[in-house]
Amino acid sequence: MSLAEVAGFRARLPRGEGPWAWLAAGSVALSLLMLGGLLTLIAVRGLGHFWPASVSLVELDDGQLLAGRAVRELPLATGQGRERLYFTGNRDIDGHVWQWVAVDRIVASEQPRELVVLERVRYGDFIGRLVDVRPAGSHVQGVGGGEVAWAALQARLAAVDALRDERDDLQRNVIQPLVRQLEKDPGDTAARRGLAVANDRIRGLQDAMQAEVVVLQSVDGRRLVLTLAEVLRAWRPNAMSLPEKMGAWVQGVWRFLSEGPRVANTAGGVWPAIFGTVLMVLLMSVLVTPFGVLAAVYLNEVAHQGHLTHWVRIAVRNLAGVPSIVYGVFGLGVFVYGIGGSIDEWFFSDQLPSPTFGTGGLLWASLTLALLTLPVVIVATEEGLARIPDHQREGALALGATRLEMLTRVVLPMAVPAMLTGVILAIARAAGEVAPLMLVGVAKLAPQVPVDGEFPFLHLDRKFMHLGYHVYDTAFHGDDIQAAMPMVYATALLLVLVVLVLNLTAIFLRHYLRARHGALSRH
Amino acid sequence: MIKLFPVSSSTQSPRRHLFDRLATGLIAAGGIGVILAVLAIGAFLAVEVIPALFSGVLDKERITLSLTPLAWGTLKAAFWALVFAIPMALGAAIHSAVYMSSRLRSRIKPTLELMEALPGVVIGFVAGLVLAPWVERHLAGAFALLLVMPLGILLAGGLRWSLSSSMRKRLPLAWAGLWLVPWLAVLGLLALEVSPWLEAWLFGGDLRGWLDTELGIDYASRNALIVGLAMGFAVMPSVYALAEDALSGVPTSLGEGAQAMGATRWQSLWKVVLPAAAPGVFAAVMIGAGRAVGETMIVLMASGNTALMSLSPLEGMRSMAAGIAIEMPEAVPGSDAYRLLILAALLLFLFTFLVNTLAELVRSRLRRRYRRLGDRS
Amino acid sequence: MPELPPSLLSLDRPGSALSNSTGPIIDFAPDASCLDVEGLSLAYGGKPALRDLTLRVPRQRVTAFIGPSGCGKSTLLRALNRLHDLDETVSRQGSIRLEGQEIHAPEVAVDELRRRVGMVFQAPNPFPMSIYENVAFGLRLQGGMSRRRMNDIVEWALEAAALWGEVKDRLRASAWSLSIGQQQRLVIARTLAVRPEVLLLDEPASALDPISTLKIEELIRSLKSQLTLVLVTHNMQQAARVSDYTAFLHDGELVEYAPTASLFTNPRLARTENYITGRMA
Repeated sequence: MSLAEVAGFRARLPRGEGPWAWLAAGSVALSLLMLGGLLTLIAVRGLGHFWPASVSLVELDDGQLLAGRAVRELPLATGQGRERLYFTGNRDIDGHVWQWVAVDRIVASEQPRELVVLERVRYGDFIGRLVDVRPAGSHVQGVGGGEVAWAALQARLAAVDALRDERDDLQRNVIQPLVRQLEKDPGDTAARRGLAVANDRIRGLQDAMQAEVVVLQSVDGRRLVLTLAEVLRAWRPNAMSLPEKMGAWVQGVWRFLSEGPRVANTAGGVWPAIFGTVLMVLLMSVLVTPFGVLAAVYLNEVAHQGHLTHWVRIAVRNLAGVPSIVYGVFGLGVFVYGIGGSIDEWFFSDQLPSPTFGTGGLLWASLTLALLTLPVVIVATEEGLARIPDHQREGALALGATRLEMLTRVVLPMAVPAMLTGVILAIARAAGEVAPLMLVGVAKLAPQVPVDGEFPFLHLDRKFMHLGYHVYDTAFHGDDIQAAMPMVYATALLLVLVVLVLNLTAIFLRHYLRARHGALSRH
Repeated sequence: MIKLFPVSSSTQSPRRHLFDRLATGLIAAGGIGVILAVLAIGAFLAVEVIPALFSGVLDKERITLSLTPLAWGTLKAAFWALVFAIPMALGAAIHSAVYMSSRLRSRIKPTLELMEALPGVVIGFVAGLVLAPWVERHLAGAFALLLVMPLGILLAGGLRWSLSSSMRKRLPLAWAGLWLVPWLAVLGLLALEVSPWLEAWLFGGDLRGWLDTELGIDYASRNALIVGLAMGFAVMPSVYALAEDALSGVPTSLGEGAQAMGATRWQSLWKVVLPAAAPGVFAAVMIGAGRAVGETMIVLMASGNTALMSLSPLEGMRSMAAGIAIEMPEAVPGSDAYRLLILAALLLFLFTFLVNTLAELVRSRLRRRYRRLGDRS
Repeated sequence: MPELPPSLLSLDRPGSALSNSTGPIIDFAPDASCLDVEGLSLAYGGKPALRDLTLRVPRQRVTAFIGPSGCGKSTLLRALNRLHDLDETVSRQGSIRLEGQEIHAPEVAVDELRRRVGMVFQAPNPFPMSIYENVAFGLRLQGGMSRRRMNDIVEWALEAAALWGEVKDRLRASAWSLSIGQQQRLVIARTLAVRPEVLLLDEPASALDPISTLKIEELIRSLKSQLTLVLVTHNMQQAARVSDYTAFLHDGELVEYAPTASLFTNPRLARTENYITGRMA
């Protein structure tokens, strides 16, 4: 009887597998649905944030006008009708950026081309009309409104951007080194003169950036005057074609990845957090790889395979299941307060009581996570070593190799994919781990990246930003959670992507490893 | 005939031997050192806390007062997480070990493995800031979803019988894990559309108010159910993976024997396979419990972090792990508060370590048993 | 086949009457022994595998160990280059001498011993490297060898293992790309490259097809002008085809040890005859 016939035979039976079998199948479907839902939610919200969505001009039944981006629509709590949420911006004029509107009250809604959205240094977005671009202090009409003003604004913003870059460059490459120079040698007159010149130049740049103002008007008629220095970007979403919108989207994503956070982490980018996460994880893998491999080689190749080794192996395996927060407590107690405190007493006593290493920092965070992921690397490497057939080892020994030569020339090269798998899994776990970092060194906002041009270049004692903690902190400790949500979504998406890509790499590597050893053990 | 090739005697031997002995010694020393460092965690926690316990610096009353609500919160969160995770994980494990087509299975297993890798902070964020406010606003819809999902699955199984046999072949049970997904999605959306009318009809349009006035239940936006759902989602993949291993490790001859006598696959699973794999399934649940007890970020973000001791699943709580994460950075080293937090960490450590060791022992015994069974057949 | 040493021919034979005695019958007194095993007992974790075994392996001859599985023939072979050192549960009594020197003496370096007493295993175990690197592996361990000389030795070893013609154009290819039979000859070449004095072969052809087996057997015969070869085999025909002397082991004990021709045509013990005629597995 063929398989299909068997199935057919079963299907003709009066009873099926019963309800429980279906519930079991349903739980697979349900978990897939939940996983898919979660990923879709994060992806759509995270990526949608950068899309220059159209702005509607809405007139309500009482004559009130508002301009904003429709965010979502829900049924009213009373059960009759629906209400719509608009993002209206203009925090400095209105005092709020969100507005719920009952759909019944909307008399007219259109999308005029001339509505502009401005991303500003303070107070978030502005949504309204562009009236004029003119020199500061002047009350005379400048270029006027309409297309002319829009073109002028674009040109001026590009110029201001160039000025801003020049200022930042000057700050970083001229002023900061000179200040450090003067700290060491206050009598250095050449440096003092250089600093004065640079400061003058910066003042000149600031003035140039504030030389012109842009005059704006909200849709309900209130005016706002901003210097160009306060405007970061301007766009007219209703006038943009699809390719233009896509260009703006790519640009937005790029700025998110490459810039630092602004306005208490609710705007701007996450570059310092990406940098901090990557640096911390790199340091951690540099620490965890040799030690993990060493311990695995000892357990599998050198140690006497008795009861003690058996128990040690189980204990190491179980440490992978100990909650990460416990590792955080260990890191705080031993690394930060114990070792860090002693280092401070011995080497940095002149700076006490303000701690140098006696507080959370990059080094302690990496060490704690290395300890946390050590079991992962040990277990994966041991599995790899155990898969290598004994006759490979005997083959090397029979040629007159010593144990060390056998290990380094035959066994370890064969175990490399397993080690890599372990390290990648460790990195994936460390990248997503937040709880222990809260105890040993992550910071809400670390203006200084732990790597710079100042000796010793890599500052192990500094606090750093982390993507996962950024999600937690922005979501829970901001003033305006609604305004921060798109940022949180985008950051969460980035974190999920990093972790998933790392895990997929590990899965493929393991697959490759199994296939290769399958070929090996065939004969 | 092969000519002899001249031999050059090796001169490097003594150096090689010295090197070998040295390196072996170093590996042993390093390996033991690393292992001791890893194991030092338990020792550190004990050293910090136990002297204080015996010298009476930490009196019993204080410990009870400050740790009981946290322990309660921990267990409450873990309990609800397991309520969600265990049925889902075991159901999924049973389905993929017994019914699922092997092609689908080879795809589903890594997918769920990826689900395990999702960072807790992301799940916590979605639960605390997206799910919790949404459920608060759509309480009736959420309850309708909880009800519709199992019913919808059974309905699908029932409806399939009334289909023509050609249609039925196109929707096999072996692929049900996949084709049920759109069905459930549609049903879920339907339930959400219908729920406001149901709410208006049954509870006067305000389920939350009705709960408060009729049953006296206070509904907190971030509550144990939300935490349970989120943490269940996080714990479920690891329970699934271990339980699936245990179930699919049962020698096939056992289940086939029962089926040969006319049992359905479900009956043979229930009567033969599951009892054989029970220790492994138990170990899976234990490991899930260990994870649920120690998970920090999800509880921190999705529970209100109020140290309440209530039984109601609709109120919040605060767990030990979350308590440590919040209070530890502020605690002065050496102070009583600091020692109390370390005691909490020690309790977490001991609990998870013991639970995992137990699970590991059970699992290794089970593996030996399978090997014997496999030999005999 | 080499001629039997004259010392053997002069032994008087006790006719065709089969003896039922259990003690070892050693119909053999080689004057040029390479390996001397004396009173060797070996146990794995208390379970005896070899009991009080004494035998001599003649220089530049092929000696075969035969016997049912579990009789200890592989254990004996592995004892000859101390490969059982890896297993901590093994306990040993008695002595093994290589060219008169005790191999368990503390001053003997075990890796040097294993270089002198090479070994080829049942399943071919080339390393996951190129063909060239496999053969050069043992040479690199000793170090201090010029590139040119290493090339020469690799070529010589591959030629000695009758593999050179098949692989000379792809020395950089992975050793795992070879057929199983070629892999086994590569392993033999790899062992020959370090110029061992003794070559131990543990059922070297049991994983191979008949043609590869034939090639290996030819190779064994061609090598004995330079090496002492010890062969463990399950295959009686193979022992008869390639070996000069055969030792029959049973239950960890040496039962009968004689020139191959006489052991197969005229076994002195009933147990031996039962085995070689297939009445005992």
